[in-house]
Amino acid sequence: MSDSSEALASAKAAADRIVKTKRLNACITPLKELRKSLDQQARAAHPSGVLYGMPVAVKDNICTLEFTTSCGSRILEGYRSPYDATAIAKLKAAGALIAGKTNCDEFAMGSSTEHSAYGRAVHPFEKTRVPGGSSGGSAALVAAGAVPAALGSETGGSVRQPASFCGVVGIKPTYGRVSRYGLVAFGSSLDQIGVLGRSVHDAARVLSVISGRDPKDSTCEDRDSLRLPTVPESLQGFVIGVLKEYFPPDLDPAVRRACERAIRLLKELGAAVRDVSLPHTPYAVATYYIIAPAEASSNLARFDGARYGPRFDGALDVRTLYKKTRGEGFGPEVRRRILVGTYVLSSGYYDAYYRKAQQMRALIAQDFRNAFDRGVDLLFTPTTPTSAFKAGEKVGDPIAMYLSDIFTVTANLAGLPAMSIPIGRIKGLPIGGQFIGQAFLEDEMIEAAYALERVVPAAEEA
Amino acid sequence: MSVTHEEVLKIARLAELDVDEEALPLLAEQMSRILEYVAQINALPASEGMKPFVPGPDALRFRADEVKPWPLAFGPDKLAPAFKDGFFLVPKLGPFEEPEA
Repeated sequence: MSDSSEALASAKAAADRIVKTKRLNACITPLKELRKSLDQQARAAHPSGVLYGMPVAVKDNICTLEFTTSCGSRILEGYRSPYDATAIAKLKAAGALIAGKTNCDEFAMGSSTEHSAYGRAVHPFEKTRVPGGSSGGSAALVAAGAVPAALGSETGGSVRQPASFCGVVGIKPTYGRVSRYGLVAFGSSLDQIGVLGRSVHDAARVLSVISGRDPKDSTCEDRDSLRLPTVPESLQGFVIGVLKEYFPPDLDPAVRRACERAIRLLKELGAAVRDVSLPHTPYAVATYYIIAPAEASSNLARFDGARYGPRFDGALDVRTLYKKTRGEGFGPEVRRRILVGTYVLSSGYYDAYYRKAQQMRALIAQDFRNAFDRGVDLLFTPTTPTSAFKAGEKVGDPIAMYLSDIFTVTANLAGLPAMSIPIGRIKGLPIGGQFIGQAFLEDEMIEAAYALERVVPAAEEA
Repeated sequence: MSVTHEEVLKIARLAELDVDEEALPLLAEQMSRILEYVAQINALPASEGMKPFVPGPDALRFRADEVKPWPLAFGPDKLAPAFKDGFFLVPKLGPFEEPEA
């Protein structure tokens, strides 16, 4: 029998730290249940695993056997999955401890973690602000030091944007790098599980474990797990493109200053820096907010009160059952996106919206290919146009909320890997810089992030 | 682009979604603004020949067509709101087709 004392100590310490972050409303697993589960997991953990004893919190839209998976929605209240997502199974096989479920925007639809049936999550450093979203609970827990890493999911920036707001590292892998089996589908051609970590190394080693082939997901590429790069001495030989469309004249001056400082440091590390243009970038948010709701309206059709979750009773016929259950079970943002998605797919509007958006997506992906074909290895941009905004500031204005994803959605549309690392602060609030890499070359992106992380004064005002 | 209350109700019917009368004005206004915003992609000239971009593997890999035990920790009877003798229970089908609005 193996000695599990190390994992037990780690489990207890993680539970104690999570208790202390209760004010953030970031962990939605009842704390008593969490303690009990962590203790059981620690006793069963594989001591030879590369993540032995490491607590990893998990966004509430990723299926786990231990805890409920409600996607932050009333329509899945109390739902317990009969299987583990592949990413969870891989974490467990590596000896990690699943440290509870984290708050998120309902079905990952949102940029602030205000659209959750569990109430809003709170920014770890400033309680009047949002932690970003939709993986805001995961980002807040990591930033508060409760766990070294957490899983999130990305459809349009839901790992990188909260990572930027909370001052942690967030990685979205290439589409197909990590299995989506057990990730509750929102936009199937965009969704990927991603990782938030307190450092590049923490995030990268969790990503390495969860990556790789999975016969249960036909969209997962038949590739080995990601191999972790070493920390480079310099970035000699790297060509980094700076995207001009991501530095508009009205960009927050402090965000601009922080990015310019990071670019200067990349040059000092030996990288060659070039200006690059991706001409279809201005259409990215519009394209995304056609494709993602269209896919969501189809994916969320399965939640109808017949097979999962609670049923909102009183219906005398099946159609009323569907409408009542969905009308009462989904929150306002999800209802709005289902309606927009149904609209753009409906007869008479399909060609003007959905087909056009698919064509625009192809052009956006081609823009990236053109940039990489011209010898650029990586692209660098701000992750978000501003630091964390105030709670309630954008909740009544969907367009303003959607525009907070303006620098992140393109990587999802093109299926490329991207990551955010902290590069400075504005009035005490963190801001992130984003690397976008070539498909399946996460190692190059992580290498550059390792180098920048060592020299950038992330805790200093920009 | 202005979406009427009637159009919202029609789309809601297609989406099998109950919408409160009280929520209609705000929903119609927000949908109108969203659709107006996303309509900017019409700046793209029509191009019938353009191939859509789909990320992921070029071709789907098929598994062997064989029956295997379903590896679930528990069955649908534990998940469904109502389940009996291997079937999900729902109310009567009733008048599924609604008259055109």
